[in-house]
Amino acid sequence: MEPDVSIETSSMIRIAVLPIGSVPPSLLRDYHSMLLRHHTIPLSAISSFYTEHQKSPFAHQPWESGSLRFKFVLGGAPPSPWEDFQSNRKILAVIGICHCPSSPDLDSVIEQFNVACKGYNSALVKRCFAFSPSDSHLEEGGKKGENFILFPPADRQTQEFHLQTMMQDIAASLLMEFEKWVLQAESAGTILKTPLDSQASLSSEEVIKAKKRRLARAQKTIGDYCLLAGSPVDANAHYSTALELARLTADYFWYAGALEGSVCALLVDRMGQKDAVLEEEVKYRYNSVILHYRKSFIQDNAQRVSPLSFELEATLKLARFLCRRELAKDVVELLTSAADGAKSLIDASDRLILYVEIARLFGTLGYQRKAAFFSRQVAQLYLQQENRSAAICAMQVLAMTTKAYRVQSRASITKHSLSNEIGLGHSDGGKMHHQSVVSVFESQWSTLQMVVLREILLSAVRAGDPLAAWSAAARLLRSYYPLITPAGQNGLASALTNSSERLPSGTRCADPALPFVRLYSFPLHPSQMDIVKRTPGREDWWAGSAPSGPFIYTPFSKGEPNDTSKQELIWVVGEPVQVLVELANPCGFNLRVDSIYLSAHSGNFDAFPISVDLPPNSSKVITLSGIPTVAGLVTIPGCTVHCFGVITEHLFRDVDNLLLGAAQGLVLSDPFRCCGSAKLKNVSVPNISVVPPLPVLVSHVVGGDGAIILYEGEIRDVWLSLANAGTVPVEQAHISLSGKNQDSVISIAYETLKSALPLKPGAEVTIPVTLKAWRLGSVDPETAAGKNASGSTGRHLRDGSSPSLLIHYAGPVTNSGDQSDVPPGRRLVVPLQVCVLQGLSFVKGRLLSMEIPAHVGQNLPAPAPVKTNSHKGSIDYENKMDKLMKIDPFRGSWGLRFLELELSNPTDVVFEISVSVKLETSSTEDSQDAAEYGYPKTRIDRDYSARVLIPLEHFKLPILDGSFFIKDLQSDRSTTGRNSSFSEKNTKAELNASIKNLISRIKVRWQSGRNSSGELNIKDAIQAALQTSVMDVLLPDPLTFGFRLVRNYSEQATKVKSTVLAHEMTPMEVLVRNNTKEMIKMSLSITCRDVAGENCTEGTKATVLWSGALNEITMEVPPLQESKHCFSLYFLIPGEYTLVAAAVIDDANNILRARAKTDSPDEPIFCRGPPFHTESLRNFTRQVKIPFLS
Amino acid sequence: MIVCVAVVGHQNNPLYIQSFTEADDALKLHHIVHCSLDVVDERVNNPKKSGPTLNETFLGLLYPTENYKVQYVFFSYGYLTNTKVKFILVTTDLDVRDADVRNFFRRFHAAYVDAVSNPFHVPGKKITSRTFAERVSTIVKSFGLSSAT
Repeated sequence: MEPDVSIETSSMIRIAVLPIGSVPPSLLRDYHSMLLRHHTIPLSAISSFYTEHQKSPFAHQPWESGSLRFKFVLGGAPPSPWEDFQSNRKILAVIGICHCPSSPDLDSVIEQFNVACKGYNSALVKRCFAFSPSDSHLEEGGKKGENFILFPPADRQTQEFHLQTMMQDIAASLLMEFEKWVLQAESAGTILKTPLDSQASLSSEEVIKAKKRRLARAQKTIGDYCLLAGSPVDANAHYSTALELARLTADYFWYAGALEGSVCALLVDRMGQKDAVLEEEVKYRYNSVILHYRKSFIQDNAQRVSPLSFELEATLKLARFLCRRELAKDVVELLTSAADGAKSLIDASDRLILYVEIARLFGTLGYQRKAAFFSRQVAQLYLQQENRSAAICAMQVLAMTTKAYRVQSRASITKHSLSNEIGLGHSDGGKMHHQSVVSVFESQWSTLQMVVLREILLSAVRAGDPLAAWSAAARLLRSYYPLITPAGQNGLASALTNSSERLPSGTRCADPALPFVRLYSFPLHPSQMDIVKRTPGREDWWAGSAPSGPFIYTPFSKGEPNDTSKQELIWVVGEPVQVLVELANPCGFNLRVDSIYLSAHSGNFDAFPISVDLPPNSSKVITLSGIPTVAGLVTIPGCTVHCFGVITEHLFRDVDNLLLGAAQGLVLSDPFRCCGSAKLKNVSVPNISVVPPLPVLVSHVVGGDGAIILYEGEIRDVWLSLANAGTVPVEQAHISLSGKNQDSVISIAYETLKSALPLKPGAEVTIPVTLKAWRLGSVDPETAAGKNASGSTGRHLRDGSSPSLLIHYAGPVTNSGDQSDVPPGRRLVVPLQVCVLQGLSFVKGRLLSMEIPAHVGQNLPAPAPVKTNSHKGSIDYENKMDKLMKIDPFRGSWGLRFLELELSNPTDVVFEISVSVKLETSSTEDSQDAAEYGYPKTRIDRDYSARVLIPLEHFKLPILDGSFFIKDLQSDRSTTGRNSSFSEKNTKAELNASIKNLISRIKVRWQSGRNSSGELNIKDAIQAALQTSVMDVLLPDPLTFGFRLVRNYSEQATKVKSTVLAHEMTPMEVLVRNNTKEMIKMSLSITCRDVAGENCTEGTKATVLWSGALNEITMEVPPLQESKHCFSLYFLIPGEYTLVAAAVIDDANNILRARAKTDSPDEPIFCRGPPFHTESLRNFTRQVKIPFLS
Repeated sequence: MIVCVAVVGHQNNPLYIQSFTEADDALKLHHIVHCSLDVVDERVNNPKKSGPTLNETFLGLLYPTENYKVQYVFFSYGYLTNTKVKFILVTTDLDVRDADVRNFFRRFHAAYVDAVSNPFHVPGKKITSRTFAERVSTIVKSFGLSSAT
């Protein structure tokens, strides 16, 4: 059998092309390709070389349209035993090719050529072409004979023209030889034999039948020659005769041969035009051909020789002729029967050729799987031959099948599509590639695929191609490890190692082996080096690009489930970056990865290799790092791995696809899952851009980076040192606050930072930050209830409650003019690690009121400073005393109010409390000039509690205004006077505001140790304390009483104030003031008591005599007016006495009852004034001032 | 005698292959099923060619293939569902009645539909249901019995 046969093969003249002398293989191929262009010589072109010696036997030669066809057999071929049967199998011409520079001796060349020609008896024309001769060759070459042709050195075009001429000459010579042969054969006849014809059968034949048979064979052969000579009509005529005779003599073999020839003649005559009728005709005739070849099968010599190969060849010829999609069914049938016949073929090489042809035809038909199947059969036949070249062939044939079985090496996928894929892989990260999807699906034919790969491995090992072996073993191991036993895995691993030993070091292979590498994560920049896009031309350039919007969820991102694909990463030139990848070794052997590093195709990334050991069935997350070198884009499609002695690239995308397939149950196994690694979200490679160097600020807190421990309310300065660790100066910087408890940062020395700009590389600046510790949380429910009063309450201790400083900084703006490509800035987050300890705790606050009785003097005590000027000659306002107390103008007593705060110290340090009040001087003087008044420090030991008294007398409380209070009390009534315009609400607000104002002026500072100091935040406590008791303490009684001496001699009175002499009638008067808006009727009574509290005016031992009424004095006091009642006392014994006025109010209204806190209407309302002191002195003694405070 | 039945998914991925021979020739049967897909593919990709049989699921004889243990020839028959899932039947019987094969495929198809209707079945994944396997083997055993009677 011969490869590459078709119906037209019968019309081709076979020419052996032999290298003569030594010809370099590349040149030989070159010359051969030059020859190949002349495979068809038109008859019209050779007429000039043709001379008709005798009358041509080819009567119907188509000189205009016909042509001769050549088939060049490089290296020649041994004579076939069947060349009598099919003349096209004969080598009819020999062309020697000689390369003069490598074989200069022309004589020996000619000799060699002649020797070579001896092997080709059938050759009718012999020529030797010598290329590139030297001048000396040309000189002597002329006389070497006409068969030796020198091609003068010239350009290729000229040479080709020469060659064409020579080929036309050869064609003409062949044609003349054919004529000669045919004429000779017609006249003399020849004995034509095939291996089928045994001697025995010939001798037993009848003579006539033998003669006829011989004639038929001669006619068939002449027909063959006519066909070779390009004259199909002549050929057909001879074939017809031959067919007739062969049919008569039952020479089926030759009949079939003639029929084959006639079909070829038909096709040549039609000049390649095909139509349905012709196709039908060819099909019909060829079926007959096949049938007759089958008929010629003789059982006797079946062991030795069989016409089966001709039958199969005919089948293939017909199949090739019909090979079209539309006729696929016919072709498949033909090919199937051809494959069926393969088993009966004796010669293994025949079977090989048959399978090759079947595979090729199936491939042409588009039946890739069947083509692959037969290719595999071919490879198996090659492998049976057990030699190296056959193994190479097997390997190459198998490599062709890999596409159909979807196990092809990555190297066989064209570079272009591969690079395209890599490019695409990043632009549409999340999407699956269609091709990869298919391959995932197709990988399920694992039974077949493993067999193919194993055969490739076997053939590659046998062929001595270590790289192919490595690649096959790698594919086998990577794709089918779950189906391979641990022993088999070990075998593959050693195959990989053995192959790599025969490879030069640094060999790259397109097919990755182990381990599986997937992207674990792209760590973002640490918060210290965060990169922020700069909005050019804005003061707050970082604002527009803040990644955190007000919404956690934005509807715009909804359409992108794989949001990470949009993620952009910025790397900085010269700053090392890290990428986490996970490696998995699902096999049963220890895997040593010699080196693994990130592979960047963009060429601007220096990756640092590391080596890893992976135990059996394990996975490991490793950090791969590198440094971007040039600004631009970086793509990281995968890792470069040096493992098993070969360098491979492992793409993340492949593993992602694999894992996706595994997740859907489409691939055998998830390599990471079976190594016990957790399921990981699909991490996609972000778009990475590299920017030129940026400044790097490094911060540390001076005095240690540990937590700053503060007590509640403590104020402390912290020094923050910022250093530029980059190579670019910092030109812009801005500090802002973030996180919780931002108001605990009282001040940042922003100016210090500003003045230090630009901060050169290596430079350092220290900025002070003042902190005030926040409260740990509300202590008692009372303060929590007061939340609405002030918003600063209700803080609770939480994790991460410390504030952070955000420092946005940036390098210089390049003046490229283009505003769009400003280098980005950076953000440094400095978390202030503040640890707040519980400090002094507030227990409770109260407002205390204290009264010191006043002396009965000539005048009433002066009221609040507002009224100081209204009474001329009133009691001199004593400044010393003024600091601590205040006279109630109507009650006649010294009122003293304190705010008492109870504080406890649960800590283990000592606190010192100092209270200071910011003085706001009274409204008559310059009110803006605030001064502070400090009180002595109070010390609170640990685990003790203490009370701190804060006197409140310096506040101008509008509530002392009596009318204000009346209004406040009786607000439901219509009011008169200047306050009438105030609404109730306003009044309340005014009250609150005044309390607030008061509170804000009280500062309670503490100090502990040498450097801890702070302020207690007890505003709420004070407010609560004031609000609950303010009414009781500050509200005036409905009736107030006052006592006064009545003296007529005023000259003495100015000097002697409020002194009473014993044994002297002392006229006095009691003043009763109505603080309400109603007329009050009452009955007043006055009592006088001595030091022991005994009533001095009643009983038997009365020591005070009196004139005027002291009891049951009925009085009516108009609203907001005073009434007087005069009486006189006569003290018998000098000493201290106390005068008290009391009244029972008649017909009390509701307001009075409410004030008196009684409910029942029957109960009498009793009002009692404060006690007034008086002292009766002996007449002879000087009066002595009694100090108020002891 | 049926030697092998197979279900092949729309991506030409095998979903189920079961052979019914004693001999260890799974690989060979895999090859036959795999090769049969060429013809199925052709019919799937050129639907206009099968114009008159547009709604015809039965593909008929796909591939008479090489000898099986010398004396048998494999014949594979195909059946294409409207979801492009293919059923392949490999038999060694030379003279099978079309009606038998059609009937077989109809029952096979019903069994397949029941198997993939299982809510726990992942489409595209190999069918591992034991019930399906038992049902298929019952159908295979009953193949050709109606013609024998």
